[in-house]
Amino acid sequence: MSRTRQVRAIVSKELIDYVRDWRTLLAIVLVPLLLFPLLFVALPLLLQAEYVERQEFDLNVVIQTDDSVESLKPFLFDTEMELSWETIPVGIANLSDSALEDERIGSGQVHSVLRLQKNIDNGTIWYYAILYDSTDERASEAKRRLLVAVFAWEDEQVNTTLEMAGLDPEKTLDPVRWDGDSQVADVATTGQQAGFALSLFIPLIVATWTATAAMQPAIDMTAGERERGTLEALLCAPITRMELLVGKWIAVATIAAIGVLIQVVGLFLAISMIARGSSVLGMPSIGATALILMFSSILLFAVMIVAFQLALAVRSHSVKEAGTVLGPIILLIIIPALFAQLINLEGIEFWWFLIPVVNILIALRELLTDTVVVEHILLWAGSSLLYAFIAAWYASKQFNREDLVESIN
Amino acid sequence: MRINILVSIAPLKHVESDGVGDILLTINNVSKQFSHIEALKNVNLTLNRGDIVGLVGGNGAGKTTLLRLMCGLYHPTTGQVLFHRDSSQAPVAEMRRFLGVVPEATGLYYRLTAWENIRYHSRLHGISDEECWKNTLEIAKDLDFVESLGRPTRGFSKGMRQKAAIIRALAHKPEILLLDEPTGGLDVTSARMVRSLVKRMGQAGGTVIYSTHKLAEAEQVCDRIIIIHNGEVRADGSPSELLDITQTTSLEEAYVKLTMDAARETEKEDVEGRIAKFWRRMMTPRKLPEGGGEDE
Repeated sequence: MSRTRQVRAIVSKELIDYVRDWRTLLAIVLVPLLLFPLLFVALPLLLQAEYVERQEFDLNVVIQTDDSVESLKPFLFDTEMELSWETIPVGIANLSDSALEDERIGSGQVHSVLRLQKNIDNGTIWYYAILYDSTDERASEAKRRLLVAVFAWEDEQVNTTLEMAGLDPEKTLDPVRWDGDSQVADVATTGQQAGFALSLFIPLIVATWTATAAMQPAIDMTAGERERGTLEALLCAPITRMELLVGKWIAVATIAAIGVLIQVVGLFLAISMIARGSSVLGMPSIGATALILMFSSILLFAVMIVAFQLALAVRSHSVKEAGTVLGPIILLIIIPALFAQLINLEGIEFWWFLIPVVNILIALRELLTDTVVVEHILLWAGSSLLYAFIAAWYASKQFNREDLVESIN
Repeated sequence: MRINILVSIAPLKHVESDGVGDILLTINNVSKQFSHIEALKNVNLTLNRGDIVGLVGGNGAGKTTLLRLMCGLYHPTTGQVLFHRDSSQAPVAEMRRFLGVVPEATGLYYRLTAWENIRYHSRLHGISDEECWKNTLEIAKDLDFVESLGRPTRGFSKGMRQKAAIIRALAHKPEILLLDEPTGGLDVTSARMVRSLVKRMGQAGGTVIYSTHKLAEAEQVCDRIIIIHNGEVRADGSPSELLDITQTTSLEEAYVKLTMDAARETEKEDVEGRIAKFWRRMMTPRKLPEGGGEDE
């Protein structure tokens, strides 16, 4: 009797059973596939639409000044806001004192107030303040437009002053300049640049999504079986607990791998969509060796995580209990994953490649920049194999528990 | 000899009779300890081919523990459970392919159809899909279940679930069938169907272990009754032998006489860990409403 046939039977049953739930399709296929295209393509479009919408706001602002600001007026008119002119109120501590304007701005009657005062000691400096409500979108937009006007007016003031002093504003303000195109000066190809940029978040995606995508099936296939009372009948079949573990492990790993793969495909899809219209962004260029090593490292990571999750889930008597145990485990992966993003790869100490989770994520970062360092590979591959072995051993120990047959029902 | 008996309702075909009466399973001085509870104490039993044995006892008597030891799901704390075949014997855990088991919970996957459930278990027993289908069809016809084979088990009634679980247990043609509370929660008609099924298995020379807490049911179905109480075998024999041993006139009286001592506390202490147990006790009010005494 072929033992692999039985493991195959377990794998195929688990996959069929899991895929029959329509929510699975949503969770492991649709969400990861659409996440990055939505984030990279739809989000900028949304931001653009929101910007246009803000441009169409009807805004009322008050300009408070005791001085003549004729030269500022054209810039203020360009903001296309309704302007009212007042003198600066008496009794304020300084121009930023908003006490007297709380009500008008808070009620939306006026969206912002610009206060301007010429320095009395020497007539060349203007002080200003913009009073607004940072929680009000219209007030924030009014403040933004007022700032644009004030800065443009300031530039004009500076240029006029320089010209009156017989100086060329351009030469005076910008005496040191970059010659040519700064993009062309970068020796890294757009593919290398893209690989570097991706190395800052692909490992994070792989880590979090492997753990997240594996969690639900790991619980369903272990604690779920215990809760539903199906495990007892299964354990009566002539299979060893190790075969059961292997079958379930392959099924969970397959689901997690598909989830991660789809998410990475979604990411590259989004990048290619953006890169089509960009001279700066390109598809990452990664060598075949680095690519193979990347997949090997993800596989090792998955072996470890899935085995660990299965072991913890099978200890639980119910789905709820397993969820309570495995939920915080995701944090144990996300936190080192975040740390791994911040570590300098240049001159990196060898022991980073021995820390579980962190080692694989640093390895992925390195490989995404097409850097293959044999010593590093030996370290992360060796240590990860050891951790994967320990996780598998722990899982097999849990699967051999006699109380596995107990169900809360 | 394998159970091969459900094919046609009348007349039932007997499989070859040689081998009937041979020893199939021996339980030698078996004890099973769970944390502070001794679930079974020095159990000695011999099961022969063709026996229809009823395991009768109250809740927590040790029936399910004994059944799980017979399936190889539990390992005895002391003693041995041996399966005899072809003049040799081996621990039952190594001979699970010759067992058919219907657990109390039936254990069907609700997203799979009845046929997929049956096929899955047969594959695990190393039976080809073709052979499994042939056997399934035979049994399903007998149980009037053919139409339901292609349906997901999600909407099945308890009776249908029991039928599906029985077909699953028999589809690989086991040498011994173990049923744990097979009529629990069933309506009268379905319970009757299960009993009649087991009877016919017996008539056809099959070996069945039938665990139940209903004495009358065991009397109807089984030709041998084992009474378990507080983890001990209190009596083992045919209904008439039990009456002789106890010098009573009904099995009910015999059962009462054999199990007069109070049933033990059945809660298993090791279901939850120490921290979980400590926390649960901390968070559980001990006092019951007035007149209710104190919990734990």
